[in-house]
Amino acid sequence: MSATPGDALSAVIRSEYPRILATLIRVTGDVDLAEDALQDAVVRALQAWPRDGLPDSAKAWLTTTARHCAIDRLRREAVRTGKEAAAMSLLDADEPEPPETVVRDDLLRLVFICCHPSLAPQTQVALSLRTLAGLTTPEVARALLVPEATMAKRLTRAKQKIAHAQIPYRVPSDDELPDRLPAVVATVYLIFNEGYASAGAEPIRVGLVVEAIRLGRLLRSLMPDEASVAGLLALMLLQDSRREARVAADGALVVLAEQDRTQWDREQIDEGVVLVGSALARSPGRPDPYVVQAAIAACHALATRYEDTDWGAVVSWYDVLLTVTDTPVVRLNRAAALAELVGPAASLAEVDQIVGLEQYPWWHAARGELLLRLGRFDDASDAADRASALGLSEPHLARLRRRVADRA
Amino acid sequence: MPTYAALIYTPDVDWSQADQAAMMAEYGAFGEAASAVIRGGAALYPTATATTVRVQGGKGGDPIITDGPYAETKEALTGFYLLECDDLDAAVALAQQIPAAWDGAVEVRPIIPMD
Repeated sequence: MSATPGDALSAVIRSEYPRILATLIRVTGDVDLAEDALQDAVVRALQAWPRDGLPDSAKAWLTTTARHCAIDRLRREAVRTGKEAAAMSLLDADEPEPPETVVRDDLLRLVFICCHPSLAPQTQVALSLRTLAGLTTPEVARALLVPEATMAKRLTRAKQKIAHAQIPYRVPSDDELPDRLPAVVATVYLIFNEGYASAGAEPIRVGLVVEAIRLGRLLRSLMPDEASVAGLLALMLLQDSRREARVAADGALVVLAEQDRTQWDREQIDEGVVLVGSALARSPGRPDPYVVQAAIAACHALATRYEDTDWGAVVSWYDVLLTVTDTPVVRLNRAAALAELVGPAASLAEVDQIVGLEQYPWWHAARGELLLRLGRFDDASDAADRASALGLSEPHLARLRRRVADRA
Repeated sequence: MPTYAALIYTPDVDWSQADQAAMMAEYGAFGEAASAVIRGGAALYPTATATTVRVQGGKGGDPIITDGPYAETKEALTGFYLLECDDLDAAVALAQQIPAAWDGAVEVRPIIPMD
């Protein structure tokens, strides 16, 4: 238990927020009311805990108090609108702390409502950060580089849609799960990528990366048998294991070839590699794209030096990935690995054959890298300019520009 | 149980004409299959028959009557159903059975309960 009531409160909010909220949403049937009531309970805790001492179970205290706050809110509403039934039914529902299996189902329901296909992907991301990760609205806005008022409006609209359109608050059945799970996994990976491949001025937004991994762990604890969930967590752990080595002191991004691999997080790599293994064992039929991407990341993580990378294995995994997700971006990444296996000329030929990436800055950046290696410095410089004009931030281009300038 | 409007957007056809008989039969089949949850609905004459009404300058002001639909779009509002379903998932599952879903689009909107 932490030293002060304030610390104890932050700790329990940090670790238990989605569980408490999920239970409250089940009891109240209303996301907004549950959030408001939990907020009320936090305010009461700030007053009560320093005065009365810490409760035995902070989580139980908050859950019970929030439930009473919800009843208070419904009663006030009832006086205003003459509807009393809702508050009364909540009173009946007063129960001791729910057992772990019930909390697990509550959380799963919350996961699937946040990632419901009727909500836009960006809305799913915002809602997941707000309700599953427990960020405040201003924190979500900052994390996603959106003005606070815009984010508040987006979240309000999402919650109104859930309430008015009656998006069901339930766990999908086993036969629905294959249709519904990809959206959940994609949402968490979108959060990760917002942080890991930041579009903002900072090269990495660590807060988002950490939240995504926390959410990945949450999903894994809720759905331990799903290969794509294990693959997602493995992929995020392996990519993030390079975080320290990925940014130079001046803030420029360091490419894989030049990273100091002693700075890689061995613990995260070990955990990720074990997860890849178990995920591969669980998806024998159709390859899962997250598991395959994690396998590619593992090839990099397990190479002591860049030149020790098993590029044949990397290219083979990309071939597997193409069988399930044949997109121009996957083809681009395969071509980049091919450069290491057979050289820049063959790779550039492949890159130039990919159709549909003219507006994708990384396509131009990849071309720039290959043109540079082929000694075509002016073409490489043009490619870097194109990538920049299409929105790739300068830290991503610094190394390419430096080498073009050095004609090296 | 909530009620949803399933707004039907399709090419701007005339459902009353003989050349739409096959399509109307498909709608008929949907109507029969979903009769337990359909609370209302209508097929609309094409937008060429539409008249759009506005009043300028507030209530009681000058009426402006124009020939044609409110919005000229490639696909037009050509009908609707009212569906009483358990939740949005059920409504969306049902909307997939409406012929417009593959001949245009179906917009599912919850209806505000009036009590």
